[in-house]
Amino acid sequence: MSLLEVSGVKKTYKARRGGASVEALKNVNFTVEKGEYVAIMGESGSGKTTLLNILAALDKATAGTVILDGMNLTTIKDAAIAKFRRDNLGYVFQDFNLLDTFTLEDNIYLPLVLAGKRHSEMKERLDKLAPSLGITDLLKKYPYEVSGGQKQRAAIARALITNPKIVLALMVTHSTKAASHASRVMFIKDGIIFHQIYKGNSTDTQMYQKISDTLNLLAQGGDLK
Amino acid sequence: MKLGLYPKIAADGIRKNSRLYVPYIATCILMIAIFYIMHLLGFSDMLKNFEGASTAKDILQLGTIIMALFGTIFLFYTQSTLIKGRKKEFGLYNVLGMNRVNLGRILFFETALIWIISMTGGILAGIGLSKLAELGFTKMINSSVSYQFTVSTDSIATTVIVYSFIFLFIYLNALRQIWFTRTINLIHADKAGEKPPKANWVIGILGLIILLSGYTIALKIESPLSALAWFFIAVILIIVGTYLVLIAGSVLLCRILQKNKTYYYKTNHFVSVSSMAFRMKRNGAGLASICILLTMILVMISSTAALYFNREETLTTRYPKQINVTATNMGVLENSEEVISKMENAVSKCVKDFGAEITEDMSASYYGLSGYFDNNKTVDIDLDPYTTLSTTFDFDSVVQVYFFDVETYNRLNNKNETLSPGKILLSIDGNIQVDDEIIIGKKTFEVEKKVDYKDGKMKYAVGTSVVSTIVLIVDDLNEAVAAFSEYTDSRGEPMLVWKWTYDFDTNLDSKGQMELRGKIGSYIDDEPGVPDPVVYYSFSRDAERDDFVSTFGGLFFLGILLSIIFMVSCVLIIYYKQISEGFEDQSRFSIMQKVGMTKENIKKSINSQMLTVFFIPIIFACIHLATVLPIVHKLLLLFGHNNVPLLLITAGICVLICGLFYALTYKLTSNAYYKIVS
Repeated sequence: MSLLEVSGVKKTYKARRGGASVEALKNVNFTVEKGEYVAIMGESGSGKTTLLNILAALDKATAGTVILDGMNLTTIKDAAIAKFRRDNLGYVFQDFNLLDTFTLEDNIYLPLVLAGKRHSEMKERLDKLAPSLGITDLLKKYPYEVSGGQKQRAAIARALITNPKIVLALMVTHSTKAASHASRVMFIKDGIIFHQIYKGNSTDTQMYQKISDTLNLLAQGGDLK
Repeated sequence: MKLGLYPKIAADGIRKNSRLYVPYIATCILMIAIFYIMHLLGFSDMLKNFEGASTAKDILQLGTIIMALFGTIFLFYTQSTLIKGRKKEFGLYNVLGMNRVNLGRILFFETALIWIISMTGGILAGIGLSKLAELGFTKMINSSVSYQFTVSTDSIATTVIVYSFIFLFIYLNALRQIWFTRTINLIHADKAGEKPPKANWVIGILGLIILLSGYTIALKIESPLSALAWFFIAVILIIVGTYLVLIAGSVLLCRILQKNKTYYYKTNHFVSVSSMAFRMKRNGAGLASICILLTMILVMISSTAALYFNREETLTTRYPKQINVTATNMGVLENSEEVISKMENAVSKCVKDFGAEITEDMSASYYGLSGYFDNNKTVDIDLDPYTTLSTTFDFDSVVQVYFFDVETYNRLNNKNETLSPGKILLSIDGNIQVDDEIIIGKKTFEVEKKVDYKDGKMKYAVGTSVVSTIVLIVDDLNEAVAAFSEYTDSRGEPMLVWKWTYDFDTNLDSKGQMELRGKIGSYIDDEPGVPDPVVYYSFSRDAERDDFVSTFGGLFFLGILLSIIFMVSCVLIIYYKQISEGFEDQSRFSIMQKVGMTKENIKKSINSQMLTVFFIPIIFACIHLATVLPIVHKLLLLFGHNNVPLLLITAGICVLICGLFYALTYKLTSNAYYKIVS
């Protein structure tokens, strides 16, 4: 069984006051295996964000099914979504969505705090993660005190710290231009779905390899190629 | 650029941000209405016929000043939030080609627009509310006395002037925020976030010192009315101290909570503590405002309720029997016994002619004078105590000295005391320590024994006093006071006053008693042998009761009216706080939901926030109440109220009701907050 199975996913946005409705996703089918890194690229308006939101259970598909590790996301109850997302998904938002009232450290801890983890455990995980992302010195700073690239790395740390089954990241090319360690790790063209990264030893080169190996193109609202 | 554009942009700006501006303007209107009503009560002649008016007016005038201060602080903080949320808009105008002068104009028209709406609404609301209050007032108290709530142009003018200054101040502050911020920072203002305020020890300690000195003054004042200046200073110090302590203290509290990792990194506390830390300066000001309002409500309601519910006891202390006749003479009255018996004769003749009879009576005569206790068993009487007061402010040392003869004491208090030659019995009510002798003026009295004049009917003769009371029970009254007849006060009047009180019950009904009282005067007038300098009055308890009801009922009503006003402002502040914070937190909570926060978590987090700050204002208000209660007690003494347990009970009930109401408000408004963020 694949880790993620997406079949026949459709998403239609209804326009207000009877205008023409927009079909953002016509019929998306693909699977992701455990250990696989998948990149999805597409022009603006091709439906990347819509697809990712559906995969992250932030949005509901109009039709089709998304099954993550045996759990059907299209039928999951609203009450269970938040917990499911917390336990299984890491999500790097396009605009990072860091909270300005928290330091980077607290931002990264947020999902663990919500999961009720102990502080010592949270610290242990972050101590392992922070050096590889090069953010050890930035942890006590507030989001508005650091650059866009640094924010992005904090957002990545927040997505990784829960050891999620799958990490969904949505990024714009220019954000990765900074030749930092982290952005190389996360190098992607337009959008990426990858899973269980950074568990141990995958090196940068392997990452590049993987990503380019499974590059997918999302055509205008259409199938994945 | 055409001038007409600015008012249009300003109006648009307010309209587009209406969800924040509507509660803001509503708050302005209410603040202005409250200020108008307070000023009307405190400064107009409306309460002039009202007994105890001068005390009530003094307090209301203080209240007016507090409301103006309070309005300034509150509007200052709320408006700062509003401007912060709109910096981006101004930054955009700036980028599109408006310079800072242009932006200043937009701000000016915005403030002016709000000023016009709030002023008109506030004064109309004030007039409307005061009319409404008038109806309640006449219902509550005896309708024979009318307290007309009029429309006062003076109050309107003062309200307009004061609030125009407040708005000007607010405008300048807004201008400052826009003027000195770079364009790029204006645009990113909403994203930038502010640095969480640093815990400011200096302000915190300063605030604590100010607060404690306010407390000290409040606790040290023995006689608040003559020390009204000190009382006001204490109140102002307590208010300022509360603001500083809560502003600095709440930041500090958040910092401490954040440092405590096991507390901070709990699902329920994490979000609430961190967002509180950011808002704490503003939060502290809001909490302090709530605290001050709660304190005022507690003090007003508990004191006026105590007065109102104790009115019968106050009445019977002042008039122990149905009818009271009091006579006074400045200086020594040589043939006092003769005068007394003549007046008693006149009264009994009057009663007999009226066809009634005296069923029980009580007669007492004594001398009184006031002096200045020098803390070394001496009461100075060669200086006018009230002149001394105005220069030394040492109010606690003013004493009232009474001389009774031992026969009167034995009769009134059912005792059987005898005195050794040249010795006296001494009774003291107040913080004065005297042991074996006391010197009044230059005369020394040896104390044979200490007694308590209050353990019998003598307390009715002495009455309640705001200052310390020294009662000397002597063998020969005239001989004892002879030495004091030469002392005069600054107006040349003798210091020594002779007083006779005669209280009696009859077999008459209430109407008969009042009629009889009216006749007593002419009988004493006609009685030969009552010397002219002796001045006398007669009172009927049932007639006085009406006055008591209207006075205390009126005060109680004022207390309720003002408390409702304060409660409404309190609710408004809490509501405004929750709504504006809700909009601020909306995006944060949406991010957190994406990261895995459940609705359950949100609710818990709101509750945690509530519990952390909920108790602060009410606890502080209770401490304030406890500190000023002694003064309140002294103030009530002026109205003849000396029932400490009742005062404590009313204070307790007030705290309870107020706390419940406060909790309810908080619960309801936090629901509004929850709806916004989820």
